[in-house]
Amino acid sequence: MARNKFNVDEELESTFDINQLKRMVGYLQPFKTKIFFTVFLMLVASGAALSGPYLIKVAIDDKIPNGDVGGLALLAGFYLAAITVTGICLKYRIRMMSQIGQSVILELRKDLFSHLQTLSFSYYDSRPHGKILVRVVNYVNSLSDLLSNGIINVITDLFSVLVIIGFMLAIDVKLTLAALAGFPFLIGFIFLIKNAQRKAWQQLSNKQSNMNAYIHESVNGMKVTQAFAREKENEQIFYEVSDSYRSAWLRGVKIQFSLWPVIENISVITVSFVYVTGIFWLNGSVTAGELVAFIGYIWMFWQPLANIGNFYNAIINAMAYLERIFETIDEQPSIQNAPDAKILPPVKGSVQFDDVVFGYEGEKVILDQMNFTVKPGETIALVGATGSGKTTIVSLLSRFYDTNSGAVKVDGTDIKTVTLSSLRSQMGVMLQDPFIFSGTIMDNIRYGRLDATDEEVVAASKAVQAHSFICEMENGYETEVNERGTRLSSGQRQLISFARALLADPKILILDEATSSIDTETELALQKGLEQLLAGRTSFIIAHRLSTIQNATRIFVIDGGEIVEEGTHNELMNQRGAYAKLYQSQRRALQVG
Amino acid sequence: MHSLRWIWTYMREYKKGVFVGFLLVLIVAGLNMLNPYFSGRIVDDVIYGGDMPLLWVLIGFMIAVTMVKTVIRYSFQLLFERISQQIVFTIRKQLYERLNELDFRFYDRTKTGDIMARMTGDMEAVRHFTAWTTYMIVENAAVLLFAILFMFSIHAPLTLAMLAVTPVIGFFAYRMSSEVRPTFSEIRAQFARLNSVVQENISGNRVVKAFAKEEYEIDKFSAENNAFKEKNIQSARVWEKYLPVLDSLAGVLLVVMILAGGWMVIRGSLTIGELVIFNSLIWALNNPMRMAGWLINDVQRFIASAEKIEDLLNEQPAIRRQEQKKAAASTDCSVQFEDVTFQYEDEPVLSNITFGVKPGQTVAIVGPTGAGKSTIVNLLCRFYDADSGDVIVEGANVKEWDVRSLRKHTAMVMQDIFLFSDTIEGNIAYGVPDAAIERIQDAAVKAEAHGFISKLPEGYDTIIGERGVGLSGGQRQRISLARALLKDAPILILDDTTSAVDLETEMRIQRTLQSVLREKTCFIIAHRISSVKEADLILVLEHGRIVERGRHEDLLKRKGRYYNVFKNQFGDFDGHQIGKEVM
Repeated sequence: MARNKFNVDEELESTFDINQLKRMVGYLQPFKTKIFFTVFLMLVASGAALSGPYLIKVAIDDKIPNGDVGGLALLAGFYLAAITVTGICLKYRIRMMSQIGQSVILELRKDLFSHLQTLSFSYYDSRPHGKILVRVVNYVNSLSDLLSNGIINVITDLFSVLVIIGFMLAIDVKLTLAALAGFPFLIGFIFLIKNAQRKAWQQLSNKQSNMNAYIHESVNGMKVTQAFAREKENEQIFYEVSDSYRSAWLRGVKIQFSLWPVIENISVITVSFVYVTGIFWLNGSVTAGELVAFIGYIWMFWQPLANIGNFYNAIINAMAYLERIFETIDEQPSIQNAPDAKILPPVKGSVQFDDVVFGYEGEKVILDQMNFTVKPGETIALVGATGSGKTTIVSLLSRFYDTNSGAVKVDGTDIKTVTLSSLRSQMGVMLQDPFIFSGTIMDNIRYGRLDATDEEVVAASKAVQAHSFICEMENGYETEVNERGTRLSSGQRQLISFARALLADPKILILDEATSSIDTETELALQKGLEQLLAGRTSFIIAHRLSTIQNATRIFVIDGGEIVEEGTHNELMNQRGAYAKLYQSQRRALQVG
Repeated sequence: MHSLRWIWTYMREYKKGVFVGFLLVLIVAGLNMLNPYFSGRIVDDVIYGGDMPLLWVLIGFMIAVTMVKTVIRYSFQLLFERISQQIVFTIRKQLYERLNELDFRFYDRTKTGDIMARMTGDMEAVRHFTAWTTYMIVENAAVLLFAILFMFSIHAPLTLAMLAVTPVIGFFAYRMSSEVRPTFSEIRAQFARLNSVVQENISGNRVVKAFAKEEYEIDKFSAENNAFKEKNIQSARVWEKYLPVLDSLAGVLLVVMILAGGWMVIRGSLTIGELVIFNSLIWALNNPMRMAGWLINDVQRFIASAEKIEDLLNEQPAIRRQEQKKAAASTDCSVQFEDVTFQYEDEPVLSNITFGVKPGQTVAIVGPTGAGKSTIVNLLCRFYDADSGDVIVEGANVKEWDVRSLRKHTAMVMQDIFLFSDTIEGNIAYGVPDAAIERIQDAAVKAEAHGFISKLPEGYDTIIGERGVGLSGGQRQRISLARALLKDAPILILDDTTSAVDLETEMRIQRTLQSVLREKTCFIIAHRISSVKEADLILVLEHGRIVERGRHEDLLKRKGRYYNVFKNQFGDFDGHQIGKEVM
């Protein structure tokens, strides 16, 4: 599995694709009417704004020379009305703009986040988490302006350009063609820089992602960094990472900013061209009045055109983010519900491995033809050296990975044929690495079953011997902990995570090194409570401490992906095999000298 | 104002660049007034006047002015971008350095997502302000000022009449400014919450899946996502209230001009030509006033973010780097705790801890979960400061040590293993980045990690995921042990280092560690008696107090807590029989 790290750019698998743009536009679909209404208002507003120069012309040419104060007041009244209309339109536009833009952002982010929930461990394991975070939060935010202001402006501008071309055509066709002469050059230039710009912006999004990943990891690993006094080296790395971001940014804007001067120069040259040709044709096919009016329009014509050019520019930039967002949304989860997946009925608790073969993606086979059957209510202890495949077995049971061949069955049903949520919600898994969410301890335990009452949470905590230390904290169950859970010791985190798993009241319970950081006395007390709790549940326990293992119904000794021994503690001791050896070595270890 | 002063301390560094930039902005603002003038001359003198040769001159001017203007504009835009990137780079650098300095108490109460929000979204607001808003303000102010001065020179009374509107604009602008500010603070606070909820979801993805809580996570996320939308719309409501008013008031200038100007012309105190000039300049009054509302938004957005960045920069670590203080001297590391007490919030964690370790000795700390074992070593490395009492290393109080040199003096394997998404080689060499591969392998061999690393397809070059996902708990512990061993510091701290390692491997590790332990002062925190029984001093901790101390044999004889733990672990074996054997 090729993993990515912070200073490696992620390769983009998809190429420039107009469909991605269409997909984005798809998000605007529900707001079609709102958008067109807003555009309509914008046109009304610009119409009202256009009345200004005309009113002034009337005032200067007509009313003032005639000393018509009443007429003047009337004009002023007209204009007041016009700016009121403009104001109302603007108000509406701001409202629509924020609603449309924010709604699209909301939906896009929600789709992205929801999709992330379906992706398997391998997705999260193969890249720094900061790189996923930047997509959901920062990339989506970057699109906000384009999706609100940008879209509305560009449609309005398109209309204005068309209307103005119409006016120009009405005045003179030849002059209109002259006025459009610069247009091909503009398009040519845009195409010229398109690729360079796109590359620059992709580069930028990569560097941004790298920088975020590094910050993210630095924050999460700060304890280690300080313990190893490695701040200086990390600062050096951070300067490099943020310096590449800065260079990428400057490279990007250098190209982006070049568009505007080109538009302005082309437009001025075109206007000059119109002047010259117009004056050349003057008194032939063009009258002075026509030419003056035409010149008035041509200045108005290039402004929206330039805006459209800029919009295109913004789209190219946004593509760098859109590509990444859609790439994530398109990522196929390696574990998914079968098309005809059924809901797993309430589980009795038998588990069966039939000829299970498994190896992590492209790596060598870890489990080869594993077979075993567990009856409901049995407690199975998995024993073996680290890396022998114990965690793999329980991961397959929760279907965190799919087998290469063979079947894992719960109550005789192949787990590939049932929905993931119906399977996992009936299992309680306590992972090696307990994760604590920010929030209260109460909320953290309740995560196992959201509708559990406070009393049930407390009962679960008591069962796992977590109650007393929780009560000692300043706010008891309401004490706030943060997501790294730094306030709690590893043992305490394990106990909380244990309580969480118990609260879920699962039929099948998996304890993967659940008590490795818990002291022996607490563990003993824990076991007494556990015995009742394990009753009626099928459980799998992975542990190195033999005290945890001894009481199991059966013990599986795993070595090299195979069950080499199987039986109760006494049976295995009598076999004098690997388990007995392990047991003896632990016993010797306790003896002095 | 405060935030503006703050950002100025950074901009001051580039005073020359900023000055040149503003100058260029002013030039462009001036040049902007030229083309309408040329255009007017073409209409008046060429089309109506028939002065053909003038056409070429005017066109030449027009094109030349445009070229110069666009070149200057491009230059100052890039100039401001460059300065802004420099400033952002500097601030980010300072933030990062500050993050490295901040102590555990800060990290205990701060969410990662909150820090991320400051380093990304808030920095973006600062970037936008320094790269764009600053020169836009100057440009608009300049255009406005030029226009007002020019108008004054033509006709003061009409100018004053028109400016009568400005106090009203000022009033609304002020109202908007104070009303919009809290909305931006809320947006950025919500942005931080959104960041946190996503960040935790990603980091906790295993738990989410194990409990099939995807739906719940989506709900939790949607609440923050919706709130983020709402906060943004709330802010837009303020814009919606004021921006149209400001825009319309800018339009009122024109009304004033028509009415007052027209009346003055009729009265004869103003010529019609002067009114035409006023008319051609009105855009220069209008536009800046229209822009004012948007620029106020930008400034307030900047202030909301700048405050958060400043907060973080001003966050004072209780434990500071003090370079002038004691640096590493000998390798003879003795450690003493004298009556040390430590509290967390109101919860007492350690009380009256006193013990001493001679160089080369090994101390083992045992005791129930949450008894304060890790806190002792955290105080030793000065991740926290004791509330009272002294922690003395090599005869000097840890508070007198330079923190970094103290920590270079200690190598710690933490209970909570954090590995970086880097190669295994890079992870082991974390403390000694330039270590030769032989030394790295040697450390891995000692930590019993070499075997499984070599079996990986890419060996030491295998990239491991963040937090070392993809490796088993035991494997992670061994890499973390190798990382600490490579550092070769005189004090070695092993906090629950082998809890997830199987027994046989653990025993091998203990054998190989024997030689290492003899050379160093060593702290071992463990639950298994087998890991601690060789120690020179065993401390039994309970509720933050040392309840028993001594060597293994002494403690057994005492038949106290330690003996009970021992018996419990022995109880796994044939109980009393072995117990007697040992006695």
